[in-house]
Amino acid sequence: MSGALAFVTLALVKSAPLIFAALAGVLCERAGIVNIALEGALTVGAFAAVVVASATGNPSFGLAAGVAAGALLCIVLGIAATRFGIDQIVAGTGLNVLAAGIAAYGLVVVFGSPGASPEVPALGTPGEIGLVVTALACAGLAHLGLQRTVWGLRLRACGENPRAVAAAGLDPRRIRVIATAVGGGLAGLGGVFLALGELDIFSDGMTAGRGYIALAAVIFGRWTPLGATGAALGFGALSALQYSFGRTGIPSELTASLPYVAALAALAGLGGRARAPEADGVPLSNDW
Amino acid sequence: MSGIATRAKVAFVPLALIVIAALAMLLAGANPIVAFAALLRGGLGGPHQIGETLVQTTALLFPALAVALALRAGLFNIGAEGQLVIGGLAAGALGAAYVGPGYLAIPLVLGAGALGGGAWGALAGLIKARFGGSEVIATLMLNVIAGLLANYLAVGIFAAPGGEGAETASLPPAAWLPVLLPGTRLSVAILLALALAVVMRVGLARTVFGYALRATGSAPEAAARAGIDVHRIAFVTLTLSGAIAGLGGATIVAGVLHRFNTALSPGYGFIAIAVALVGALDPLKICVAAFAFGLLQSGSLAMQSLAHVPKDLVTIVEGLAIVALAARRYAA
Repeated sequence: MSGALAFVTLALVKSAPLIFAALAGVLCERAGIVNIALEGALTVGAFAAVVVASATGNPSFGLAAGVAAGALLCIVLGIAATRFGIDQIVAGTGLNVLAAGIAAYGLVVVFGSPGASPEVPALGTPGEIGLVVTALACAGLAHLGLQRTVWGLRLRACGENPRAVAAAGLDPRRIRVIATAVGGGLAGLGGVFLALGELDIFSDGMTAGRGYIALAAVIFGRWTPLGATGAALGFGALSALQYSFGRTGIPSELTASLPYVAALAALAGLGGRARAPEADGVPLSNDW
Repeated sequence: MSGIATRAKVAFVPLALIVIAALAMLLAGANPIVAFAALLRGGLGGPHQIGETLVQTTALLFPALAVALALRAGLFNIGAEGQLVIGGLAAGALGAAYVGPGYLAIPLVLGAGALGGGAWGALAGLIKARFGGSEVIATLMLNVIAGLLANYLAVGIFAAPGGEGAETASLPPAAWLPVLLPGTRLSVAILLALALAVVMRVGLARTVFGYALRATGSAPEAAARAGIDVHRIAFVTLTLSGAIAGLGGATIVAGVLHRFNTALSPGYGFIAIAVALVGALDPLKICVAAFAFGLLQSGSLAMQSLAHVPKDLVTIVEGLAIVALAARRYAA
């Protein structure tokens, strides 16, 4: 029994950052922004959290800084994609490279230690539990927000037909930027969880492709908050299984690759057609 | 927007990047002038440094041409990194086990790399052309799978006996690419890359396939109406793009490391996106851009040791360059 409990706990801990990032992906994509920069948002979120927690000695400030950093990175994407007609895919890829660079450079400048930061004041077990609950609550909130509120309707309309939104007298560019800000904040929170919840440090490459797993969860979950959360929970459980059954002879690379293979299968239309929002990735610019 | 205004903007980007880099150097407590001088000295200070810059140029040129080819067809190959790794893995695995005649070793090793990368690109092409799935997400996922596969195979199946780390056994010297600049690691791979750039330029401009590829990129619906099979173009382009990146991985294995190592790429496939954009997707300009980024790569270590500026500054500059140049002005 305690074995099962330990497994569920580990699965939730592994899922939480994926849920945050996947919800960020859903919010952005439903608003029409393909957010490849989730990996970067996790990275800067984790890094900012560690820097501020270390400087202030207070992990709560670190948490706030991580959320802000994730939001900031994604706002750059939102503004670039709505004001300058910049391609979202290229910009997102650039932001991922930029985030990795900032974190690696910052590690040396701030802590004088390439590779990993020293241990910093962390959130501890209560904080970790709180963030897991927050992740699940965010999934419910995102679902209700998207489906039952005027804001959700407008956001979804931006992803399907931004011209109709403009015709209704609203500014789809603004709505998209807000979606990227909220999404970026959520992804930043995922980074905070990794740094101040799970490990108490920042290390180079600690996000380890979780931003891409989150993208996979978005597709696998058919661009819905609950679907993406379900997929993230599944991928988290898979990751927990790796620890629990580490010595069964199944190569860990095989289990680690399953989320990505699942995403490819979803892209190839196995188990029903996966359809992205109609205007997903369509750029807007000032003269629009 | 007028051409002059566009040109002024393009000139503004490198200036802004230099200013940002200088600020970041100050933040690290370094004198920017000393740091830039160290960067240049590290990249161009002597035959050895120039050789190393050209090694980096070559490593960037292959994936940059791969990214540009796909973008000319309106396709985002974010997966050059994975294709490069798979190409290197195929080349390393075949090379380490090779026992045939010496003169066939190099063609076979490079061919294995192109085939491996091409197969990896074809998977994304299949998802795009056959199922209408996003090639962006497909190539991103294939990147991660490539890394995991390489790790599994290089640590497990093909590992060098008694070797340390994730690498295959050494290639027989018959499979090593001839050195171009004695005393450096620069091999003839750079000539191959330059030749490929010329072939690509001519192929895009002068062949029926090149025309169909560009038409698909600039106006897919018109191209389809004109009788071009845009799905086939997408599949073939992503396969070719993967093959070019894979060939690049093979040249790193056969020309530089003489074995496959899971750390063979510090993200060449991603930096290549910056190279392709700076080169405005024109194969010949990309050669120049690859040299500039190669200089950054090779000079960064000298900057770190001589001016105490972390080499990761280069990554920041590369990321900013990609974001700044993401404007949709390609697709021609």
